[in-house]
Amino acid sequence: MFKHCTFVAVLKVYKMEKAKSKGWLKKILIAGGILLVAGAAIAWYLFNLKFDDTKTVKADYTVNAAAFLNEFKPDDSTANVKYKDKIIVVNGRVSETEAAADASINIKITDTLTDNYIIFSFQDQSLNEAKKIKAGDSVSIKGSFSDGVYSDILEVMTVNFKRCTLDK
Amino acid sequence: MKKTILVLSLAVVSAVSFAQKKKTTTSATVSFDATTKLDALPKADNKTVVAALNTKTGAIAFEAVVKNFSFSNPKIQEHFNGAQWMDSDKFPKASFKGKITNLSTVNFKADGTYSGTVEGDLTMHGVTKKVSAPAKFVVSGSNITATSEFSVKVADFNVSGPAIGAGKVATDPKITVTAEFK
Repeated sequence: MFKHCTFVAVLKVYKMEKAKSKGWLKKILIAGGILLVAGAAIAWYLFNLKFDDTKTVKADYTVNAAAFLNEFKPDDSTANVKYKDKIIVVNGRVSETEAAADASINIKITDTLTDNYIIFSFQDQSLNEAKKIKAGDSVSIKGSFSDGVYSDILEVMTVNFKRCTLDK
Repeated sequence: MKKTILVLSLAVVSAVSFAQKKKTTTSATVSFDATTKLDALPKADNKTVVAALNTKTGAIAFEAVVKNFSFSNPKIQEHFNGAQWMDSDKFPKASFKGKITNLSTVNFKADGTYSGTVEGDLTMHGVTKKVSAPAKFVVSGSNITATSEFSVKVADFNVSGPAIGAGKVATDPKITVTAEFK
């Protein structure tokens, strides 16, 4: 009789512990599932990130081309640090339009005294408006500042922009 | 007096002649494709590359501003310019300086398509390596279009990182250079 009672008690405890551990397992599985879904969602979000259309992005600076060019000097990174990754509107007169190899157009504004220049490559959705620009036109171009770098080939300062669009 | 005019005329003629032999553009394109089966994002174009070609000596040079490589994905662009990859704050420019090794088979004075080989020093991420690549030259009047496609091993230029190790970025990206000289 005593043996039977002990056996029943042990069985009860075993069943309770089993139920408890099943509860924990369920919780761990749910938490793991949530983490997996969240991780996948973050990965999907990062994978599908795209740059915004520059036309819709608020400019950090609006500058005059000549004064802006004068801020860039060889072996001096002050201007590059100031404008790093900024969206800038540059106002000036077009010196030259240059066809890139893929039939897109780059616009150049050159300082006639020094031959230093600013060059703008356009985002795909703004290529048609870029193709209408001619040398001599007064323009407002908004773009993502890349870098001001001295060209050893041309022996001039070059200031490069990407993902550009016309501001007006 | 006549002698001075003659000397000056000769100097002007030779300067003009030299200038005509060296052609430059500020809108050459360098495309970079490091995509893999795991990731189709690491590819970019730089359309404001400075290039020069001397049709007399066959000397050829390129300079690309690293931060002007334009990716579609902001995160990849950030990684590309970051300290582990191109470290573009420290090394803002990638450049090539070399020459056409079989210049005698390329006639820049006659229209046509010519195959060539370009050899020289490629400097990227602060490391300079000798490279050799096939090139195509299309001559049409005074216009010359030069194209070349080659691969580099990123490890040769001390570029590494977890994404490369994980197979998300190719260890030997394809680089395509196109320049139109007018």
